[in-house]
Amino acid sequence: MPVDNYTNMEEKLWILEDLNMMYIRQIALSLQDSDIQKKIDHEIRMRDGACKLLAACSQRDQALEAAKSLQTCSTRIMAYMSELQRMKEAQVMQKVTRRSSDAGPMDDRLPCKGKVAISDLRIPLMWKDTEYFKNKGELHRCAVFCLLQLGGEIFDTDMVIVDRTLTDICFDNTIVFSEASPGFELRVELYSCCSEDDYSAGSTPRKLASKLSSSLGRSAGKKLRAAMEPGPCSPVSNGGAAPLLLPVPSVPGPKYHLLAHTTLSLSHIQDSFRTHDLTISGNEECSYWLPLYGSMCCRLAAQPHCMTQQMMSGCLKVKQCGGDPQSWTKVYAVLKGTSLFCYHQQEDVEANIEPAFTIGINKETRIRASEKDPHSKVQNICISNQYGGEEVTHTLTTDSREDTHCWMEAFWQHFYDMSQWKQCCDDLMKIELPSPRKPAPVTPKQGSLYHEMVIESSDDLSSTVSDILARRMQELELRSQLGTSPTWMSVFEENNAKSAGRTRHCTSRLSGHSPCTPHRLPRSPASPHRCPRLGLLSSDASLTSDSDSHCSTSPCSHHHGWPEPSSNFSLLSSSPSRLRPRTLSLDAKLSTLRGRGYGGGGAFQCPCQPPPSSLLAPLPISSRSPRTQRSTQTTLSCSSSTSSNSSSNSEGSHSPESSEGVPFSRPSPARRSLRNLRARLDPRNWLQSQV
Amino acid sequence: MSFVPGQPVTAVVQRIEIQKLRQGNNLILGFSIGGGIDQDPGQNPFSEDKTDKGIYVTRITPGGPADVAGLMMGDKIMQVNGWDMTMVTHDKARKRLTKKNEDVVRLLVTRKSLEEAVKQSMGGFPRP
Repeated sequence: MPVDNYTNMEEKLWILEDLNMMYIRQIALSLQDSDIQKKIDHEIRMRDGACKLLAACSQRDQALEAAKSLQTCSTRIMAYMSELQRMKEAQVMQKVTRRSSDAGPMDDRLPCKGKVAISDLRIPLMWKDTEYFKNKGELHRCAVFCLLQLGGEIFDTDMVIVDRTLTDICFDNTIVFSEASPGFELRVELYSCCSEDDYSAGSTPRKLASKLSSSLGRSAGKKLRAAMEPGPCSPVSNGGAAPLLLPVPSVPGPKYHLLAHTTLSLSHIQDSFRTHDLTISGNEECSYWLPLYGSMCCRLAAQPHCMTQQMMSGCLKVKQCGGDPQSWTKVYAVLKGTSLFCYHQQEDVEANIEPAFTIGINKETRIRASEKDPHSKVQNICISNQYGGEEVTHTLTTDSREDTHCWMEAFWQHFYDMSQWKQCCDDLMKIELPSPRKPAPVTPKQGSLYHEMVIESSDDLSSTVSDILARRMQELELRSQLGTSPTWMSVFEENNAKSAGRTRHCTSRLSGHSPCTPHRLPRSPASPHRCPRLGLLSSDASLTSDSDSHCSTSPCSHHHGWPEPSSNFSLLSSSPSRLRPRTLSLDAKLSTLRGRGYGGGGAFQCPCQPPPSSLLAPLPISSRSPRTQRSTQTTLSCSSSTSSNSSSNSEGSHSPESSEGVPFSRPSPARRSLRNLRARLDPRNWLQSQV
Repeated sequence: MSFVPGQPVTAVVQRIEIQKLRQGNNLILGFSIGGGIDQDPGQNPFSEDKTDKGIYVTRITPGGPADVAGLMMGDKIMQVNGWDMTMVTHDKARKRLTKKNEDVVRLLVTRKSLEEAVKQSMGGFPRP
């Protein structure tokens, strides 16, 4: 009976495990290294905890997280054990060599260690377009995470759920490895696990499960079957064909499988983002398969200790070549990174005072010991650098021969480190320590290239805008009530109530909802049929034909009254063919006024208030303030672009900076060029966003 | 800096690292961008090639994080944190710069003066 064999196997495995643990403890004792022993014990406890959690939890995502910790713990245990074995071997080999031959004094210079950091991992996916856009079939989701291993340190990234709406798998974590040697190998492994909601394989009894799998549809049944049994494409999850010292207990629940891996080394380090190739294991038949593009983008940076720490420090006397032979300067020198910093006093180092001078120590520097100084019988050290074609030499001397020897030794070591770490020593690369910030709000989906529709906005702007709108509405009503409105106002009288009402309605909507919603509302049909009557749609005239957005000018303007239309707009041609539906009738009024060319009244100083400008957040707000210096009229019109489909245009706010043809202002030539630039930067012509 | 379809794009770039500034709930960078594959490239006052649909820096807030980091008006942004910006929509570009979980953006930017500088240093100048 298969079940009996299974339990038999389990018992055998437990016995093996106990024996192995004893063996490991013996090795650790003999090595007199309790450090690794402690780490192994810790990881085993963690693993047991993860197994218990996995058996106990009912929710799928909890199970996935627990399985991820299990995977990490197992890998760590393997790593520690192989480390232990290696140390044991080294110890044995040493004894052997010592007995067999008298090896000469081992004069191997070891390069300094350093910090290596990997961040911004991104793995692009390559879905078939039918899968991606048409969204056919059920959503196949996988949980993925990355395991990063360097030397004895193993870290895992957070888990990400991937389905076919994502174009890239992004891991936001920054992982820092503290003690890496220049010859390091950073192994990156991508593990994935199929995450179907209904297939909790461990819980359904086998008979029922087989009935289910045969009666379900073909693809669903196939997946279920694959999830149930460890098929041919689920390699032993703890690392391959090597004989296991501590076999992983088989626990029912989600199991991660290795999907892709790659190894990074010193040559891949760069202070910017690079793409690396991935080796993919597994094929399409596996349940955990994801269509990887085959590469991975990340930022790999390193900070060797020779760049960040003081390698050598002490008192020296320095003389610049070509100067007075007797003018030795006493300094406290610190060798760090690519320079030798010379301070007046030792206290200056802690006090962060600028060094008296700095001598560069880089790959181009030449250091040699000169002949003995006749006075003190101590050798001098000469450091030569090329500064733009000229050779500058500094001579250093110390008080005793031992000090000179120490300094020379430090310089040689420094040069050796720089030759080993190569490009990492050109400049200090930045490594950000992952700051302990509060857990970011869980985004339901990671960004997708094509379907993101969220428009971020800042709430402050929306309230300001609605305030200003309300004020305008009040002014408008007041004016019409006072009867001082010009004759053309009568045209709008009958619509006034309607429009005011509607506008107020719109305003209240603005304050009520987040600012993006008003723009999604279909524009009220009131304006279009009014426009042909009035026949002028001036403010949109300068919009380029390429922009697809529905633009309407909403009355966020800072008009103080009606008789202030911009004279500029008399120059703008109207294009009645560009009828756009508009909600707010006030803007129709504005455009009419402008179109009628009410200017002739000269240049009215328009107090451009700090514009509330747009109803959506990112705006070139401050760009408008210089424009207030100009005497020409500027009207502020807010334009909103609706996006009802996938192309989400953010909106820019406009101040219809008029064209260069304004008749009554003659700015100076310098300002004219600035004006030209600003004119060309008119957001109506070319959308700009503030970030 | 136009591109020939199918050929790799090469440019002399400068790396600029901007630390975002926190203002209340927002992280700001202190500059404005223009351009994008969905925008009209003819309106770009900074581009040499009027068919270039790349993302350009149109304004820098004086004293802001971008100004401090050395970004200049008229720069063309080629990459942001490893993501390409030469062939993106305007909104996508804005989103890549304003991710809430990133404190630092590393840009690769190019400008005409960089190419000039490289040409000059390679061409050499008469030594005394």
